[in-house]
Amino acid sequence: MALIERFQKTNDVTFWEGQIPMSYIYTVGRAGEKFFQELRQGRIFGARCKSCNLTYVPPRIYCEKCFARLEDSYLDVGTRGTVETFTVCYEKFDGSRKETPSLLAVIRIDGTDGGLVHYLGEVDPGQVVIGLPVEAVFQPTDDRLGGVLDIKYFRPFK
Amino acid sequence: MAITKENVLKTATKLSASDILDGKVHTVKWTPNLKYAWDNGPAIGRYLAELKNGRIIAKRCNQCHRTMIPPRMFCELCWRPSDEWVYVQDTGIVNTWVVSHVDWKAGRLDIEGGVRPFTPAVIEIDGASKGMGILHHLNEVDPWKIHRGMKVKAVWKPAEERTGAITDILYFKPME
Repeated sequence: MALIERFQKTNDVTFWEGQIPMSYIYTVGRAGEKFFQELRQGRIFGARCKSCNLTYVPPRIYCEKCFARLEDSYLDVGTRGTVETFTVCYEKFDGSRKETPSLLAVIRIDGTDGGLVHYLGEVDPGQVVIGLPVEAVFQPTDDRLGGVLDIKYFRPFK
Repeated sequence: MAITKENVLKTATKLSASDILDGKVHTVKWTPNLKYAWDNGPAIGRYLAELKNGRIIAKRCNQCHRTMIPPRMFCELCWRPSDEWVYVQDTGIVNTWVVSHVDWKAGRLDIEGGVRPFTPAVIEIDGASKGMGILHHLNEVDPWKIHRGMKVKAVWKPAEERTGAITDILYFKPME
């Protein structure tokens, strides 16, 4: 017997429940601070490494290739970009079906080597192609909270 | 860049708690839901179920002739499955104990103000093998009169309040 004793009914299986209390506050860092402050003003910022000829978006405090400090080379990179890749999403976070699909894309900011993952708006899913030129549409000034959703979405521009 | 004091001071970010809590810098706040369920298994599962019935159950090993409490499905000395389930007494003797002046959150108890210190103890259960016991509380006893070998008995919660947990026994009290 013993080790081959088995539960015959699932109701016999008992368990002990617990919850580990944990919460955290993550500061966005020096470069992140600059990025979100500027985003709140309706601008997208990056950081440029002259020696590597690279422009990071979002900005970094140092170059990932040569470790040069970039805090003196933050720059406004404009609000226009290009769809690098995209997906048409028909599911909500809980797995249930969305009535109208949302469009998610990686948008490379023009003239830079970086980009943002964001929503596409004012466009039909069938019209989205890789290489589509887009521009950021910001929330009204009063509604901005210093988060990436201060940009409402990116929309095609002609 | 050389690691010198000047360079470190230049790079280090001097943030205070209030900068963060008053929202002077951007932050991300999150509380992950760390909920878990731990399977009691057949041995502890039955042990807890029997506590709800107001009984303490142990398990025997017929090779080393030990009666093990809390019960377990294998004998860790003989390295073989354990054998019969046996009920043991709800009495025992104090094996070791401590008089604690701090609470569960490591805060100091107001002993001068009349708060009774916590007195957790290992109680060797009558009917189980010598040295086999469970960790529980002692109460209804002067903390400074607890002694090794003191005979104690379980004080149970009323049957309708029991949930199948070790706290179905409120504490152990002296038998005298």
